[in-house]
Amino acid sequence: MTASRLVERLLQTLPVLFGISVIVFLMITLTPGDPVEIMLADSRATPEQAEQLRRDLGLHLPLHERFLVFLGNAVTGDFGVSFFHRRPVIEVILERLPATIELTLAAMLLALAVAIPLGVAAAVKRDTWLDRALSAASLFGVSLPGFWFGILLILLFSVTLGLFPVGGRTPFDLEVARVSGFLLVDTLLAGRLDAFAAALRHLALPAVTLGLPTAALLARVVRSSMAEVLTSDYVLFAEAKGISRARVLLRHALKNALIPVVTVAAIETGSLLGGNMIVETVFGWPGLGRLVVESIFARNYPLVQAAVLLYAVTYVTLNFLADVAYTALNPKVRL
Amino acid sequence: MITRRTALLSGIGAAAAAASPAFGQARPREVRVGVATDVLTLDPANHRNRDTQNVIRNIHDGLLTRDADMAIRNEIAESWRQVDARTYEFRIRPGIRFHSGDMLSAEDIKFTFDRLVKPNAMGGQTSPRQGLLGPLEDTVVVDERTVRMVLREPWPILPAMLPFQEVVNRRHVERVGQEGMQSRPDGCGPFRLAEWRRGEAIILERFAEYYGGSPEIPPAGPAQVDRAIFRVIPENSSRIAALLAGEVDIVSELPASAMRQVEASRTAQVMRVNGTRTFFVAINNAKPPFTDLRVRRALNHALDKGAIISRILNNTATPLRGVMSPDAFAFNPDLPEYAHDVARARALLAEAGVPEGTEMVIDTVAALRELAEAIAALLSRTGLRVRAQVWEGAVLTPMWQTPERRRERDMFLTSWGNGALDPSDIMVPTLRTGGRGNTAGFSNAEVDRLLDAAETEVNPDTRARMYREAQRIVTEQAPWIFLWLPQDIYGVSRRIANWRPQADSRINLHRVRLAG
Repeated sequence: MTASRLVERLLQTLPVLFGISVIVFLMITLTPGDPVEIMLADSRATPEQAEQLRRDLGLHLPLHERFLVFLGNAVTGDFGVSFFHRRPVIEVILERLPATIELTLAAMLLALAVAIPLGVAAAVKRDTWLDRALSAASLFGVSLPGFWFGILLILLFSVTLGLFPVGGRTPFDLEVARVSGFLLVDTLLAGRLDAFAAALRHLALPAVTLGLPTAALLARVVRSSMAEVLTSDYVLFAEAKGISRARVLLRHALKNALIPVVTVAAIETGSLLGGNMIVETVFGWPGLGRLVVESIFARNYPLVQAAVLLYAVTYVTLNFLADVAYTALNPKVRL
Repeated sequence: MITRRTALLSGIGAAAAAASPAFGQARPREVRVGVATDVLTLDPANHRNRDTQNVIRNIHDGLLTRDADMAIRNEIAESWRQVDARTYEFRIRPGIRFHSGDMLSAEDIKFTFDRLVKPNAMGGQTSPRQGLLGPLEDTVVVDERTVRMVLREPWPILPAMLPFQEVVNRRHVERVGQEGMQSRPDGCGPFRLAEWRRGEAIILERFAEYYGGSPEIPPAGPAQVDRAIFRVIPENSSRIAALLAGEVDIVSELPASAMRQVEASRTAQVMRVNGTRTFFVAINNAKPPFTDLRVRRALNHALDKGAIISRILNNTATPLRGVMSPDAFAFNPDLPEYAHDVARARALLAEAGVPEGTEMVIDTVAALRELAEAIAALLSRTGLRVRAQVWEGAVLTPMWQTPERRRERDMFLTSWGNGALDPSDIMVPTLRTGGRGNTAGFSNAEVDRLLDAAETEVNPDTRARMYREAQRIVTEQAPWIFLWLPQDIYGVSRRIANWRPQADSRINLHRVRLAG
């Protein structure tokens, strides 16, 4: 893969992002419901005050002008001011983003840690009771509704057993200087192992709730990919050569079987980032997903636009990285 | 004797108490409140949000406050008097200190209220709370400890509205500016801000030099706990779990369906108080056949409110014959009642010439879907075909706002808050001709006259008489299907003492003690 190919591939993402920004802008703006009316609901504002607010928010301009303003500012990283926070959107989002990323990555690591051994085991023991049990379990896992599963975990592990906290990100008597915003990193930077452990305990249940359905999905991918690889000639050849079973599995088969898993995992990471508002709500996790949902209901246009654009960029980037990883893992594939 | 087994059987909460002291008991003097949403800002002048106000009101005090029974009490004000119909005078308690150490003076009172009511006084913006102070025109400093509030026109509910406004420190605002006010408050209330973990929690700590608050509400003095924490837990079930696990001590907006679970837990109990929000079905008074009084009365007779209150609302609402809460000023206890009587309803509809099978729609939002469907089903027993239609709030509210936009609509299940517990705060907007919340499009010359006269009447008895008369006419004219006043339900840990919910939904933590 040459550098010019890489740049070309990167440039191809630009029209996608432009298209998304058009769609995002139009969808939220054309959805019925006026942010000014929502903000002034139940208040005694006069029509003049409402008009003033409309001007303050830049909503008095015609649609196309607003879009150009949005686009022009977005390119420079300025997404305007959040209607109900009255602070720059980017500031509000950056405040919440690390919590969401931390939860997503934890969930994905957990999912991979569960999915790879189980998927391999199912493939190796194909058509045995183990394979069928794992297959049933993964079907169950994929079907788990997050809000229900999360609350069950809370009732068992927090209320009844008292092992994990019900929600939140840290205990309140714990103060750690914010450096990266990622608590697991910041606590280690501060050399506070107690705080690190506490943060980990807060992270456990949300990560399990978010990670298990993904684990179930990935386990199925690993199983089918591994099953295919195990019947290929080079594996048979390796076995015929008398290489140990473990070595054949880990060194020869797994490496190749993981190629589709990388793709799915990367795309799933994108979905987890954008799709964890339910888990964030159940566990009171101060992340971005919850903020976006609240903003949609309040027609907080700037925040929704910026956040969706951010999701889109992340998704596109992860896809791009998956492609790059794919070529690295499998020299037969080219960008 | 309680064995471990019976404790487990008696509910998960009890089990939590028996098995897991780990999260519950290692924090002796800290009270934690589980709330559904984070505060939007900590600037008392820059929001219109009740949850936000709940937190701010523990950091800041007001000129006046309310006790748990909703009586208006002095707070920063030591005394006040009405000089004439348009002028009120307040004498300020001496020796009040802000958290920064600055002393409070009459200048701060003037600054606070100017910032609230003068156009563009908030760094170029106008406070969204301006409307809550009606015709307040100016605040004048008389001397170091005395201010006068001057109104454009008489407004008898000024004292009832003042508990909603918190006093800020003028010098602090000048120091930190408009932006700084969003996150760095300097109040003179019982708690000062320790940390705001956005989206997660607000951590407050006891202000040792607090002047003590209203001496009329004992005990006065600094707060009884060292820290107060408002923790954001958006999901109802998680909030209840946190209460049962001992992680929070007070949760608001407890769903009626969770009351038994909390009561069974031994670690927590349910507390209830009449709210201030009147629920009703606004009938489109301008659209036939609702222009006919007999039809509106028939709808009121047709509805079995008792069934809905007992079966859906778990008996957590008080039925209303009219618009006002029984706790409010000038409540009329002698209103006629539209008794549940389907035969009478059918007869009235027939008299008005409404054929059987006429279709009607009740508009509402998703949160009220269950109620709207129950109401529609009960109304359909008259032979009408009534159904509920659910809309998103952002669409529905504007749709019912103006006569043109609601022309084709039939009924609207909605509610109106009356935090001031005064008819002026609910009857004028919802029932006066052209009122901003008059979704029914009700218009009655006599009601308008009474409401206008009462608005400027200084004698409280005369005012009350006018409002009672207006309530009688409204009930007789039946512009709405009168419904109920829901109670606010709280789950409260049994280690919390000296706290009870109050009708204005304030969560005042100044006097909370921890048992044991």
